[in-house]
Amino acid sequence: MAKRVRKQQNRTDVAIVAGIRTPLGKASGLFDQLGAVDLGVLAVREVLARSPVARDDIDQVIIGNVIQPSDAPNVARVIALTAGIPRPVPAHTVHRNCASGMQALTDAASSIQLGRADVVLAGGVESMTHAPLLFHDRFRAAMAKLPRAKTLQQKLPVLMELAKAPWKPRIALIEGLNDPTVGMGMGQTAEVLAREFSISRREQDEFSVQSHQRAAESWDAGWFDDEVMHVFAPPSFADAHRDEGIRAGQSVEALAKLRPVFDKPLGTVTAGNSSQITDGAAMLILASREKAEAEGWPVMGYLHDWAYAGCDPERMGLGPVFATRRLLASSGLGMADLARVEINEAFAVQVLACLKAMDSDTFASDKLGLGKAMGVPNMDALNVHGGAVAFGHPVGMTGARLVLTLLRQLRDDTGGGVAVGTLCIGGGQGGAVLVGSEPCKS
Amino acid sequence: MQVVNLTRQENIVRLHFERADKPVNVLDEGCIAEIEAHLEALEAEPPKTLVLESGNAGCFIAGADLDIIEAVTDAEDAAKLAERGQSLCRRIEVLPSISIALVNGACMGGGLELALACDYIVAVDDQSTRLALPEIKIGIHPGFGGCIRLPKRVGWMQAVEMILTGRSVDAKRARRIGLAALSPKPEQLDAAIAYLSKKGKVTTRKFNPWWLKLWPARVLFFQQVEKKTYARLKHIDVESAYPAIPAVIALFKEIIGMSDGLALAREAESLGRMAVTPTCKNLIRIFHLGDALKKQDAAKRGRDAVRGFHKTAVYGAGVMGGGIAWVASKTMDVDLHEVAAEPLARGMKGIGRLATRRGRTDSSRLGRIRPVLDTSGLNESDVVIEAVLEDMKIKRKLWVEVGKHVSKDALLLSNTSSLSISDMQHRRANAGRIAGLHFFNPAPKMPLVEVIAGEKTSSETLDKTCALAASWGKYPIVVADRPGFLINRCLMPYMSAALKLLESGQKPVHIDGALKHFGMPMGAVELADRVGLDICHHVGAQLSEAFAHQQAMPEWFDRMVADGLLGEKSGKGFFIYDKGKQGELNPELGKYLPHAVTKEKEFDADLSASKADAMPAADIVDACLLPMLTEALQCLRDGVVEDPQHLDAAFVYGIGFPPFRGGLLRYFASYRSEDLTQKIEAFGLASPENMEVLHAFR
Repeated sequence: MAKRVRKQQNRTDVAIVAGIRTPLGKASGLFDQLGAVDLGVLAVREVLARSPVARDDIDQVIIGNVIQPSDAPNVARVIALTAGIPRPVPAHTVHRNCASGMQALTDAASSIQLGRADVVLAGGVESMTHAPLLFHDRFRAAMAKLPRAKTLQQKLPVLMELAKAPWKPRIALIEGLNDPTVGMGMGQTAEVLAREFSISRREQDEFSVQSHQRAAESWDAGWFDDEVMHVFAPPSFADAHRDEGIRAGQSVEALAKLRPVFDKPLGTVTAGNSSQITDGAAMLILASREKAEAEGWPVMGYLHDWAYAGCDPERMGLGPVFATRRLLASSGLGMADLARVEINEAFAVQVLACLKAMDSDTFASDKLGLGKAMGVPNMDALNVHGGAVAFGHPVGMTGARLVLTLLRQLRDDTGGGVAVGTLCIGGGQGGAVLVGSEPCKS
Repeated sequence: MQVVNLTRQENIVRLHFERADKPVNVLDEGCIAEIEAHLEALEAEPPKTLVLESGNAGCFIAGADLDIIEAVTDAEDAAKLAERGQSLCRRIEVLPSISIALVNGACMGGGLELALACDYIVAVDDQSTRLALPEIKIGIHPGFGGCIRLPKRVGWMQAVEMILTGRSVDAKRARRIGLAALSPKPEQLDAAIAYLSKKGKVTTRKFNPWWLKLWPARVLFFQQVEKKTYARLKHIDVESAYPAIPAVIALFKEIIGMSDGLALAREAESLGRMAVTPTCKNLIRIFHLGDALKKQDAAKRGRDAVRGFHKTAVYGAGVMGGGIAWVASKTMDVDLHEVAAEPLARGMKGIGRLATRRGRTDSSRLGRIRPVLDTSGLNESDVVIEAVLEDMKIKRKLWVEVGKHVSKDALLLSNTSSLSISDMQHRRANAGRIAGLHFFNPAPKMPLVEVIAGEKTSSETLDKTCALAASWGKYPIVVADRPGFLINRCLMPYMSAALKLLESGQKPVHIDGALKHFGMPMGAVELADRVGLDICHHVGAQLSEAFAHQQAMPEWFDRMVADGLLGEKSGKGFFIYDKGKQGELNPELGKYLPHAVTKEKEFDADLSASKADAMPAADIVDACLLPMLTEALQCLRDGVVEDPQHLDAAFVYGIGFPPFRGGLLRYFASYRSEDLTQKIEAFGLASPENMEVLHAFR
């Protein structure tokens, strides 16, 4: 009998009735000509076409997105209207950095539980390819003065100012992956974990190779065929189905040759053992259990509970430990109860550090206020079909992908049960969601 | 009936055009007389502001009355008509009032010329607002001063382009190019009038661009215009086929820099000559015929139902399927279904090319097409169109499969060119909703579609199908469910005739050249290559089986197909093809047609002899077209099409029969019947029994 979650405070069960994602394309790769709006529209159209839910049934649209396109303010609304969602249906975009896609789903579930909506289309979308190049602020200031300068005399000094201002573009992608409160890039926070938990380069590389192998094997076996839609992207319009970043032949030796990126030359985090910069979209349809049953919609599973927790921004990679701890405590479950766990692989070292922290009695007593270690997930149940090191991590989308893949794992692999998907969030947070194949016990 | 009303309020006088009997305003005899009468009153007591406006929704003035132009037979009479319109415009122009044309909806030809006579044009920002001088499309050019006033308003570059192509502009573009002074929203019209009244009367307009005043620049400019215009028409004799084109270019060259009075006189005189050409009459006729097809009763009856449609599913992502998907995406969401990813990718790439025009991709329309590899999305489809392999078993299976998923009132349409719709319906539960909707290649370009009712097709289905085609801008023609339907059945004898000419030693280039000179968009031999020799072979075999009088394909043609010479798609047929571009004659052709390939060196000595062998172009045209004519008449006898007028339009819109010749039946009706019968018999064809049909076309 599959594990079931006990119902809390008479909450409505939140059913997930459909979900699809695009393949993940490498930066400036598959989806070079598709922006966040295009990717979102593709996924929304597809999920609607594949489910019996009609456009008119939808009460709300919530989409997570980090690098919000400047030409599509409130990208969720732009996507909804372009994809043909009726105009009276409101849409909003959410941003919790790397957990934006997860935030969209948990906000949707919240709305449903509160009775504010019956059916919500939610998901995440990211085009890291299209992260903009920015002008320096001094350049902006000079440009702002230009229209106010009327005469040539006024104009000349402004033009001089413009000429002297830095012309080198600022790269939004790099700035976005930087935490301004501690002045560290995400990669540098990963290096902190590698040093503090003494995780060697080799351990990281081995974990990365495993991620690639698991992803490649699952794709070869056709496991992902229903999860991922086909995209025919311009300009070639070639069929894109498999995630672009997966390297089936990846070896530890090959990875060992790469140079560290964030702490040269002594660091251990390389491009090969970090998540890849990618583009993609994932869209799910959530509905109250009553609505889904009344309409006779198929149910993929249930979104039971979730938790977000803050932590040290310099060690943001440990976010999953804190969030999972909070989630398990509130639902009265232990690690051993989980049929599957997905810890997002922002960096291989960050997943390994989480596992060590979960297994450590000192960490438990120092940081979590527990008597003994909270416990590690069963290793055969962790990131079974590969993770972000192989697929990539389109920041605003990953949270939604984790939920989608876990529901499918519970349905197709484990014959039901409950599972946790968790990820670290730049800025020092963790997010975790609890999903299950069965509704709550009442 | 009063069409033009004059109303005065304070210092604004409104000239209000509105007719109750028609949805559009046209400048017919009555209307012009009324304006003239009102002008007298206005001249006697000119108001401060004069506003021209229309009370018909979606139409300002659609132009001069085509019936008048169609009826005029004398060049001087025609010139007088133009002069009358010109003086009308001139009188508005010289009124001391500030004149404003409020354009809301279609403003075409004479309507725009009237608006151009006003000081300002206000183009209301609405989807229905289109401004154009489309006279060139009916074989004439603007005659109410448009050739003089448009260049002043938008500059010579834009004006020459607009008049030579007849292309329309919307409100936004009209403002950008300077044609309209403002493009306000409908609620802002009073404000717009007040604003323009304050600006005062326009007395002078700048000559634009200034460098056209220089003689060498002018020569170069017109050289480029001629080059660009004639590039599309290089095979035909423009002077006789489309005389208005050289005439209007000559007119431009002459009037640039000329005083208005002289220029107007030249315009009227030139228009007079153009209006009496057979080209003009034929083009007007073809225009009416297309309109009649679009607005036929069936299409009107189905219109409301089609308005509620949202999604079309197209099966098969080949050239045809992709083209149909693109056509459907004009008004609806489209699911493009295919069995495998690879052909689907090829199909999408083709659609991507259709979406890109002049380097710009229409990505929002492209985004409406969703490539699909499973049955998803069928439940919300209102229409399913199949363009899969021409195999009855596959198609029947498809309808069973699709029937499981689609709603109970979805249309099930087949783009078959050779299979019977009735056979397709046999023992199918959804037979009433199955019909044929046959597009022509390339689907986005060819305006005609054949709508085919099988035995069990309900009349409701037929109405909706016609309305659907019309909503996509296509001209539907209802044809009976007989082998080859109408167009293919008549095309086959045409191509067979060309093959026979090849056999008798005529060169492929010569045959195609003669037909292109006649005005066909491509020669019969190239057409066979483009369609695919295997498909020609298949259709030919089928038709010769079905109809005793149609001949089987020659034995050498069988061998060509068997050897894999399939035309464009295999890169080699009668000609060589490289990425769709036609190249040299295929050297392998000698194997099948020893006469067709010139061994140039051997014949060098005997050039005169080889020249003597070549048939005169006119004979080649007759040899190819007469079999088509007799087959078309046979189709009328067999009831494939009810109305001979529809049939005539079908040849123009379906295979590109030269529109300036007015259609197949119209063209041959210009022959004396005895001569025609004699000719038909001379080519060894049976003389059709219903030759009297042609009388109606004389």
